[in-house]
Amino acid sequence: MNNGCLENRKKEHDNSQKRPKSYKFGSKSDDFALAIAKVAVAQLCESVGFQGFHLSALETLSDISVRYIYSIGKTANLSANLAGRVEGNVFDIIHGLEDLGSNLGFSGASDVDRCVVSSGVVKDITHFVGVSDFIPFAYDVPGFPVVKESTKTGSFWEKEEVPPGEHIPSWLPAFPDPETYETRLSVENETMGVSNGKKTESELERVERKMDRSLLNLQLRFAHNENKGGSSHGSGYVATESNPYLAAPLHVGEKEVSPVVLPTKLSNEVALRNPVHVDVGNHVSVLETFAPAIEAMKSGLCDSDNGKKKLLYDQRPTVRFKIGIGKKSLGTISDFGSQNEEDLLKIASWFGNDNEKDDKKRRVEKILKESVESSKE
Amino acid sequence: MNHNRQSNDGNHDDDSALSDFLASLMDYTPTIPDELVEHYLAKSGFQCPDVRLIRLVAVATQKFVAEVANDALQHCKARQAAVVKDKREKQQKDKRLILTMDDLSKSLREYGVNVKQQEYFADSPSTGIDPATRDE
Repeated sequence: MNNGCLENRKKEHDNSQKRPKSYKFGSKSDDFALAIAKVAVAQLCESVGFQGFHLSALETLSDISVRYIYSIGKTANLSANLAGRVEGNVFDIIHGLEDLGSNLGFSGASDVDRCVVSSGVVKDITHFVGVSDFIPFAYDVPGFPVVKESTKTGSFWEKEEVPPGEHIPSWLPAFPDPETYETRLSVENETMGVSNGKKTESELERVERKMDRSLLNLQLRFAHNENKGGSSHGSGYVATESNPYLAAPLHVGEKEVSPVVLPTKLSNEVALRNPVHVDVGNHVSVLETFAPAIEAMKSGLCDSDNGKKKLLYDQRPTVRFKIGIGKKSLGTISDFGSQNEEDLLKIASWFGNDNEKDDKKRRVEKILKESVESSKE
Repeated sequence: MNHNRQSNDGNHDDDSALSDFLASLMDYTPTIPDELVEHYLAKSGFQCPDVRLIRLVAVATQKFVAEVANDALQHCKARQAAVVKDKREKQQKDKRLILTMDDLSKSLREYGVNVKQQEYFADSPSTGIDPATRDE
């Protein structure tokens, strides 16, 4: 309980340090208005008879005068809303003044059937205006806050452009001109586009140039990907001239890939738990095991058939990964007696970092032991 | 009926007085600028296109501030008069009337605004206590 209270006090203290003044009238956005209020209040005090101020007193009085204006506005707005109006009128303001002046009282406050028009507040103000001197404000005050003029980008309808796609309504702002994001290509297209008359070839070259300069324009790439996927889906692998990143995905068996060799222990475990799997030997091609998964991903881009999905569920083996034990078992290469040296090197290269780490750990332990022994001596 | 007529005439007079007053406001420029009043009225949500109402609020605020300052001035003068009784030297030096937090808080108290300041700040709760009692 005590600790909770202390924490709350600390939090309040921190909060108070962060926000020393009231947020409404003390924030940075209000500094300009408060400064103007300070000048006006200082002028008024000078007219009353003061010759100097304490800064804290001046700030307090200006803050209070600003809150006075705010409270008049709030009360007037409230009475206007109660009367079902959005805009206030003179009667609302007089109501607000009466509310604020009810503390000290004004003439005629106790009258039951008084009219707002003949309110004592107005009479006091009229008297004040007649008595007080005319003191103009010292500075020229510009209208604030200044409203920034927003540069409105015209809508499709205004620009008389047809929105690309039926799903885009015409009242939305128009897309930027293609020139803004195709500046480099437009110059060379004119030179290269003349020789190639076909549209598809020019698109290919355009895409090649883009990728060469590593300009990532997602819109065109998707557009080109769609075009390419549709055209090359039946033919299969596209020639090497085209961009490899935008080529159609490969199916299983199209390209010869070096098989991935798993160590005997892991492969034996996989074989034991997956009687359906065909290859039980040491050489398990990872690509084949994960081919259905890869196909599933690629089928998402192209049109997916139901047959491919069936393949997924039939051929996927259950692979279980053991973390932690593998390091120790694979760190010692002597376990694999029947493996080729190349495969061993491959495996070693995968886990090379771990071997190094083990060596480093051994060295550290050795050094620690030596230091302990030396300290004992 | 007579009473009604009189009240009607009275209302008419009051209406005219109010409208005349609002018209006269356009000639009298209050010290508090219109832009400042507009800003805070807009902040409070009060919408009004009429300039005369803004002038009315400005004049009302000016009256309020003038009254508070006047009361503070009275407090300040009263304090100086009290001091003069003790020492005559201070009367010559303190001719300047300065608005202090003390006077302001006294005058604002009558208007329902509570402005209180710490009288003094101490390092620990036992500061200033007689050393004999502190040891205990």
